[in-house]
Amino acid sequence: MPALEVQNLKYYYRTRRGPVKAVDDVSFSVEPGETIAIVGESGCGKTSTANAILRLLPRNVEEYEGHVRLSGEDVMEYSTEEFREKVRWRGISMVFQGAMNALSPTTRCGLQIAEPLMVHLGSDREEAVAAAAEGLKNVGLSEDVLRRFPHELSGGMKQRVVIAMALVMKPNVVILDEPTSALDVMTQANIINLLKNLQRDAHLAYVFITHDLGLASELADDVAIMYAGKIVEIGRASRVYPGPQHPYTQKLIHSVPLLRGESAPDFIPGAPPDLTDPPLGCRFHPRCPLSFGMCGWSAEDLQSFLELRYRAASEGDRLGAAKFDQKESWRLVVTPGKDVSPQALVAKIQALIQAESSKSPVLRAIEKVRVGSNKVEIVLYEATIPELLGEDGQRAACWLLTEEGRKRAAS
Amino acid sequence: MQPPEVSAGETPPTDANVEYPHVQLDDLRIYFEVGGGMFRQPLYVKAVDGVSIALWKGETVAIVGESGSGKTTLGRAVLRLLEPTDGRLLYAGMDITHAWQRDLMWLRRTAGIIPQDPYSSVNPTFSIYRILEEPLAVHRIGTTEERTERIQKALENVKLNPPDLFQAKYPHQLSGGQRQRVAVARAMILEPEFIVADEPVSMLDASVRISILRLLRQLQEKFGITFLYITHDLATARHFSDRVGIMYAGKIAEMGAVSEVLGEPLHPYTQALIEAIPDPDPQNRHRDRPALQGEPPLLTVPPPGCRFHPRCPIAKAGLCDVEEPPLRELRPNHLVACHLAS
Repeated sequence: MPALEVQNLKYYYRTRRGPVKAVDDVSFSVEPGETIAIVGESGCGKTSTANAILRLLPRNVEEYEGHVRLSGEDVMEYSTEEFREKVRWRGISMVFQGAMNALSPTTRCGLQIAEPLMVHLGSDREEAVAAAAEGLKNVGLSEDVLRRFPHELSGGMKQRVVIAMALVMKPNVVILDEPTSALDVMTQANIINLLKNLQRDAHLAYVFITHDLGLASELADDVAIMYAGKIVEIGRASRVYPGPQHPYTQKLIHSVPLLRGESAPDFIPGAPPDLTDPPLGCRFHPRCPLSFGMCGWSAEDLQSFLELRYRAASEGDRLGAAKFDQKESWRLVVTPGKDVSPQALVAKIQALIQAESSKSPVLRAIEKVRVGSNKVEIVLYEATIPELLGEDGQRAACWLLTEEGRKRAAS
Repeated sequence: MQPPEVSAGETPPTDANVEYPHVQLDDLRIYFEVGGGMFRQPLYVKAVDGVSIALWKGETVAIVGESGSGKTTLGRAVLRLLEPTDGRLLYAGMDITHAWQRDLMWLRRTAGIIPQDPYSSVNPTFSIYRILEEPLAVHRIGTTEERTERIQKALENVKLNPPDLFQAKYPHQLSGGQRQRVAVARAMILEPEFIVADEPVSMLDASVRISILRLLRQLQEKFGITFLYITHDLATARHFSDRVGIMYAGKIAEMGAVSEVLGEPLHPYTQALIEAIPDPDPQNRHRDRPALQGEPPLLTVPPPGCRFHPRCPIAKAGLCDVEEPPLRELRPNHLVACHLAS
């Protein structure tokens, strides 16, 4: 039975510009003693996923649903109080990003580690401090750190204290959010070794959040690649690293500068999308080198393509459109200019599709062009979001993995 | 003025036809006084302690080290934002070690800096236009029209297209990568010959890092700029610099061409540093990563002898803890400061 199973987790929050779909239908599971690494660029929802699992929600939460099962028990059913008592820190604990700089500067480390024991278990102070001493030993620190203040410790030692805090209640699942991002490489290697040993000894399940694929491979049995609030590829590390299936995963792997291999790193053009208004269909398609008609182009994309395409055109070469009107996401209505007939406009668009659809995938999304009395209507294939496909060892959400997608991309 | 002597192993790249280095550090030392009092002897933090590097025109030299190794202090001193305690700093053959700031306006014009943090290095109330105009205004360069043209050109160079759109924006409207492009544009606006880039990409996403570094490389090739790239990341240094210097506790431990230093690391610290960095490989999961124990030394009382000896896996008692190893040329153009390297 998985130590942690997350199923169809959704977590949106409100902003003035509409709901941000930070975590959008995310599912994964981790077996005891194993690690799943969640990898992606910043702003793709990695930390939000962790916060949603631990139910650390802000006040402006819009939607929060799905299942989080801890050793088979659905903890989403729990009341706030029950969740706090039974799940947080006891069942699932977390090493927060930058936590080592958030230690209380005026409290000795021993008491900071012991505090959850006193709050959650009602242990008395001596008992709790004794357990804290034990915890420090487990993370390779001597007992006299109990009486030290955080400013007396080095970065690596502080991070060890934070890990001791996360483990003091003996949880089954630990979420590690960029646990080494502020540390030097040598300290990083030491902390990673410590995490490996702790996992082996206590059979812990880790959810390891990072943007660094190299670092992820230090711990990962499974990898989940996140993009714009969704998992786009998930599977065994031994399958995903050598044979990534989603174009985003492929790009991400190629963007890592290698210290040993020969290949030069490449970058992913563009930036992740605004999550209040994510692209239709596959969310990666506007940046994807392999995108084609099916990937989710909208009337808005087509309009901005046409505007950009003809912005610098000379007088005779203009499209002759006076007005664009996005009726639906799949329908663009074009009103021709004064001296242009709708038929001429259609001919122009047809010619454009003929000439340029091989290099502009948005043109391949056009299903048909219809002539009205004084308007031209362009109908696009409807955009649908690709599902995770493949067997259990490796699944990816890309239209190119379907029979139909391959056919359409080839034509 | 006499061209300065070139230190051992620092022969110029074959295609450069200059007779002295563009920037030269000669046994440079920067100490900070701490803890002194009326009746107490002050201590000195020896942040940079005897570093000699020659940078040739148009090359990129990476200085790689952990935090506290003195690499940032070195970068600031090279631009004379700090005054060196001892040693010499020469710019195109001219000694500027102790020059007055008001005599260094020409250096401010010909040398630029790209800071680490694109979020705090620009004034949030300035538009991109004003951010880029400021250096021109300080140096009283150009009329309004000329400045506008130069700013547009600079934005185009860093691929913030169309420039009209970007120059009207404010920093908060840009992503981290775009901000760093603005920082690059600002460093480039005075058409400098020398740029110090202090961890220019460490705050950025992995996928954006490469695009910024590639941009710097392109600009360098286009304008023949000399780069000092300060970083803790050996992997990006490998792909984006010509030579690399490994710094440990205020000193250069090893220096040479990137392919030499990473292909055949001679110093045990360099070897350990390379070992500690994982490349993406699912096999990493099944073994512990070799890593040095302990911490870099305090720079107020550095260990005697070789500064690395307390953490060194091959240190020899009676030698490494007594005698300081000199930086010697063990292979052609490949220098190392270790008694035991051969």
